[in-house]
Amino acid sequence: MSTKEKNMLGRTLIYIVLTVIGIAFLSPVFIVLINSFKGKFFISEEPFSLPDKDTFAGLENYVSGLEKTGFFSAFGWSLFITVFSVLAIVLFTSMTAWYIVRVKNKFTKALYYVFVFSMIVPFQMVMFTMTKTAGELGLDTPWGIVLIYLGFGAGLAVFMFCGFLKSVPLEIEEAAMIDGCNPVQTFFMVVFPVLKPTAITVAILNAMWIWNDYLLPYLLIGSEYKTIPVAVQYLRGGYGSVDMGALMAMLVLSIIPIIIFYLFCQKYIIKGIVAGAVKG
Amino acid sequence: MKRITAILISVAVVLTLAACGKTDNKPDTNAPQAGTVYFLNFKPEVADIYKEIAAKYKQEKGVDVKVVTAASNTYETTLKSEIAKADAPTIFQINGPVGYRAWKNYCEDLSDTKLYSYLTDKDLAVKDDNGVYGIPYVVEGYGIIYNNAIMQKYFALRDKAVSISKATDIKDFETLKAVVEDMTKHKKELGIDGVFASTSMGSGEQWRWTNHLASVPVYYEMKEDSDDSTIVSTLDEEEIDFSNSKQFRNIFDLYLNNSVTAKGLLSGKTVDNAMAEFALGKAAMVQNGNWAWEQIANVGGNAVKAEDVKYLPIYTGVEGEEKQGLCIGTENYLAINKNASAEDKKASIEFLEWLFSSETGKDYVVNKLKFISPFNTFKDDEMPEDPLAKEILSWMKKDVNNLEWTFNSFPGQQFKDDFGNALLEYVQGSKDWSHVEKTFRTSWKNER
Amino acid sequence: MALKKYFPVFVLPTLAAFTIAFAVPFILGLFLSFTEFTTVIDAQWVGVSNYIRAFSNADFLNALWFTVRFTVVSVITVNVIAFALATLLTKGLKGTNIFRTTFFMPNLIGGIVLGYIWQLIINGVLRFFDVTITYDPKYGFWGLVILMNWQLIGYMMIIYIAGIQNIPTDLQDASKVDGANRWQTLRNVTIPLVMPSITICLFLTITNSFKLFDQNLALTAGAPSKQTAMLALDIYNTFYGRIGWEGVGQAKAVIFFVIVAVISFIQLALTRRREIEQ
Repeated sequence: MSTKEKNMLGRTLIYIVLTVIGIAFLSPVFIVLINSFKGKFFISEEPFSLPDKDTFAGLENYVSGLEKTGFFSAFGWSLFITVFSVLAIVLFTSMTAWYIVRVKNKFTKALYYVFVFSMIVPFQMVMFTMTKTAGELGLDTPWGIVLIYLGFGAGLAVFMFCGFLKSVPLEIEEAAMIDGCNPVQTFFMVVFPVLKPTAITVAILNAMWIWNDYLLPYLLIGSEYKTIPVAVQYLRGGYGSVDMGALMAMLVLSIIPIIIFYLFCQKYIIKGIVAGAVKG
Repeated sequence: MKRITAILISVAVVLTLAACGKTDNKPDTNAPQAGTVYFLNFKPEVADIYKEIAAKYKQEKGVDVKVVTAASNTYETTLKSEIAKADAPTIFQINGPVGYRAWKNYCEDLSDTKLYSYLTDKDLAVKDDNGVYGIPYVVEGYGIIYNNAIMQKYFALRDKAVSISKATDIKDFETLKAVVEDMTKHKKELGIDGVFASTSMGSGEQWRWTNHLASVPVYYEMKEDSDDSTIVSTLDEEEIDFSNSKQFRNIFDLYLNNSVTAKGLLSGKTVDNAMAEFALGKAAMVQNGNWAWEQIANVGGNAVKAEDVKYLPIYTGVEGEEKQGLCIGTENYLAINKNASAEDKKASIEFLEWLFSSETGKDYVVNKLKFISPFNTFKDDEMPEDPLAKEILSWMKKDVNNLEWTFNSFPGQQFKDDFGNALLEYVQGSKDWSHVEKTFRTSWKNER
Repeated sequence: MALKKYFPVFVLPTLAAFTIAFAVPFILGLFLSFTEFTTVIDAQWVGVSNYIRAFSNADFLNALWFTVRFTVVSVITVNVIAFALATLLTKGLKGTNIFRTTFFMPNLIGGIVLGYIWQLIINGVLRFFDVTITYDPKYGFWGLVILMNWQLIGYMMIIYIAGIQNIPTDLQDASKVDGANRWQTLRNVTIPLVMPSITICLFLTITNSFKLFDQNLALTAGAPSKQTAMLALDIYNTFYGRIGWEGVGQAKAVIFFVIVAVISFIQLALTRRREIEQ
């Protein structure tokens, strides 16, 4: 066999392996999709078969799932909380990070380490006390949870912005200051544009976390405002017993927006992950 | 100049943040004195009906009623996280004396309310020496629901192995067992997959065994010692023998061995599955209470006629069970949060009084919630019309010994979970029966 | 510098939120772990008795051991597979982007949703043996491992790809010219040069596995008999599931935090040392 043929064979093998793994990665989503069209009592009986005349339930699961979970409102709350929390995190923590990097004294140094420290604390540590504090302050609302996410996400975001800012030269900022800009103007006109790539990374990492977060919104606002993960989990026992059909339909509906978002912003997401990993 | 800008901006930022906390917060700021109601509902199966009632009440009286329903088996968890909030539930539920013990710092004395005065039998309320803290709002019953059409088909068989000829002749465990086992032999001719619907063992789906079924043997164990209410005497039991564990096993094994579903798959089964199997005619019997009627009736392709749905007591093989009736009681007691504001407490009590005494409220209770009500504001004809409720009402009038809900005095959720887990391991064959007995005793002791 | 006076604009919002969401609850949490309480106001000092109860609690020890085993197995499997895929995808073949997109996709799906997807599939497979995932803790364990692999492989693969692409191609070519076989190139050139990526991936998989909650809750919820409950779930159950155990729950949370902190510091120290060496 010539080297060329050998290479061809090797490539084909790699493609076969990759395709098999690719199918393995996609099939779980596909299985959920086909089951979402089956009658609810057939799902656990024969999960791997396609719906047929007896088992096909049309959109029944979707209808009952939407009704039981209030999916559209859950989607709305998830979107609302994610968008505003991410905006708040990007805006306020980048400002804080700039302050920490440019005003060098003992206080900012201590502040930096406190923020970094918060990154390693698991949520269970503050699960109850945070809910309690926030509840006392009347923060158990969708706006309040934005504030909580800002505080909770501050650690990683400040850390990443600081890491980037340390390598940004002072000259432009000083020039802006000399031109009569106050620090607020300087920040928004000169510094923030430079921060854009990091800001995107921070936004993506936080969006992925907040959109999928379950326990924090469940404990803080779950009784009144259900986000998608809370609504899905509530299906399990919210009506006395699990409705597998509605569950499958809701799983599909919660995956669809993510996949659409992913396909459109794939480039940024993957870049963001890499950048985040290198600095984190 | 710069300084002023800085200060202005910071004020703006702080205000925005403060506004974040305040917007759409409690309505008490713009609507003072009115009082609002927050009802933390225990019964998931009627969650939507309570929402309807809340809307109706708002329309009639202009008072906001917020209804939140805890997912099944998470009531205590939800209550615990909700009650810690500034905007805590004003009406919540306790499951009887044990619930009262856990939540007594939150229970308002209700002895001076009209709601209490409506109770037909004042002894049903949860009280201690100082006052009344929990008011039952529903009477419920459970037993073995059977499909009489299938039973008649069986009794018409020529080669049936028993001498009796109708389901109502079953008066003890021995007969029940003989009938059930013979039915399993004839399941093809009867067109069923098994006599009993699935013994649901999924997590959060085990309460039919850990609470309801276990109540029967414990009732008899307590009854041996004294004639008092077993609910009261069980409450003081620091340790328990579980001396009738054999009887529990009798009936539990009967459920398992004559089931629609193989034992290994039961952990994936839900109560909903079981009720659907019964509704579709795949099973002839299922243990559950009258609240389950909607679950049976709402299954698409329902094959059970309302007039064929009947009740049989849960016979377990104890002495003298021929006179046993159904298990009738409740685990639903309303309590008012003592720490709520005076206006909210007043509004909450008024809401409940409206629900259980006004014509509109009673209509919801009888026809939508389908509660058999323990209040004297309901006339005899104001009772739900569904077949299971009618069966319960008729068993209440029979000359039989209807059992109390002794499980009201079982230790908390942790005990029930431990016991349920042990049962699951027994079902799946990884542990033997002595493990169940041991768990029952040790967990009882630990969780008391 | 003028900036210093702008503290209220630049730092206060973040700091205020951070104080409410993290600093106060954290300190309060430490304090409460030494008390008995149901709501915060009624806390009574009990010293270390909560910690003693936590360590003598069989569920907690079981959860700790389960979590450690799970972490070890999933860290190894995730990283080996992710690295292998990254090597395949950096061979300059056409169409690798599609595969990269596919492999990464599950990472975006939330833990609760993931848990239910795999519950369906695993129960579906086990149905052929007439059992379900809660039949034996082994099933729950491997179910979680499979789930974790499905979720994290794509993420780690992306990081490895970035690491491998950063290796100057002439280095690999040089080693080929020197007559090194593939295995030698991998061991002596590729792995040392992607070491930073490996460190990051190890760190991410360890902490993610250790802190796992949503997936655990949705897939098995600890069944059978809490034998598949991981630390985070056990803490949650202790805290909200049992009356009179709040202090113990909080003490367990502190222990959990200390373990995570120690792992993080070891990791940090290792990274630092490597950075100095280079």
